[in-house]
Amino acid sequence: MDEMKILANAIVLGASALGAGTAMIAGLGPGIGEGICASKAVEAIGRQPEASGAVTRTMIIGDALAETTGLYSLVIALLLLYANPLFGSLTSALEKFGG
Amino acid sequence: MPAALLMASEAGFTVNGPLVVASFDLFGITWNLTESVIVQWIVMLILLVVMIVLTHKMEVIPKTKRQVMAEWIVTLVQGMVDTTMGEKYKKYTTYIGALLCFILINNLMSLLGLRNPTADISVTGAMAIITFILTQYNRAKTGRVKGYFHSFIEPMPFMLPFNIIGEIANPVSQALRLFGNMVAGMVIGGLIYFALGNFAILIPAVTSLYFDIFSAVIQAYIFTTLTMAYISGAECE
Repeated sequence: MDEMKILANAIVLGASALGAGTAMIAGLGPGIGEGICASKAVEAIGRQPEASGAVTRTMIIGDALAETTGLYSLVIALLLLYANPLFGSLTSALEKFGG
Repeated sequence: MPAALLMASEAGFTVNGPLVVASFDLFGITWNLTESVIVQWIVMLILLVVMIVLTHKMEVIPKTKRQVMAEWIVTLVQGMVDTTMGEKYKKYTTYIGALLCFILINNLMSLLGLRNPTADISVTGAMAIITFILTQYNRAKTGRVKGYFHSFIEPMPFMLPFNIIGEIANPVSQALRLFGNMVAGMVIGGLIYFALGNFAILIPAVTSLYFDIFSAVIQAYIFTTLTMAYISGAECE
């Protein structure tokens, strides 16, 4: 039974590490989005240099909003790595199973 | 959970939540006095001392450098509130200014080697909840009872669930944005120090410039700007 517990823990650990890595693929989206945002802001400032203050302000807020999805994935990755909720359900499942 | 912690500590690098300094029972609930609370007290003390020094012996025509500095800060915040929220919301200037200074100093606390209080979801969550309450207050105040409930079925009645989800997503995303940025800076900084070991010179300084200073200032600005945008955006016609 101990071997089975170790195996089950190992599977959950490995799967969590893979899940954390996969979750961070979501970093692609905000990266592309913020790049487009910054390039458009540069174009706008090039066309109208006197509006650079307002454009920069709007760009920073837009960047912050675009970043949100990336931060959600970061929080999920951190949860899987440092405060894994899956071990709790694994323990209860093993107890139910008669371990 | 214990297995994960063991693995991480064997590797030599861990990410911990804020330390619990003391805990006591009151009204059947355990209240934890954490590192974040203590560091926030230090931040409040710093702000208090700086504000008293800056506004000491003020005159109508500023003669001292510190009064010019104090006036510059006040003008900056007034300009931010005027451009983002409009003339009508002048009374929010005090709250916005306090929020900006408080978050800024909180974010910069990692420079002193302390743990950022904003790298704690409880702290950022509390600030986001204050924003949420102010948003609902402004919506109810400008629209009264009818306008308040009518704003949830605009533009179409079937949009009700989406409007409610959107309303709840605002504070959640606002809290997670500040928390996520600060934790990311903390984790990456720790990983760089851990990876370099005894050769941690120069490279951590460069990354620290971005994560500890640039990111901290930008995130304080963004949090206050979004607070202003949410509050003034909740207005009913």
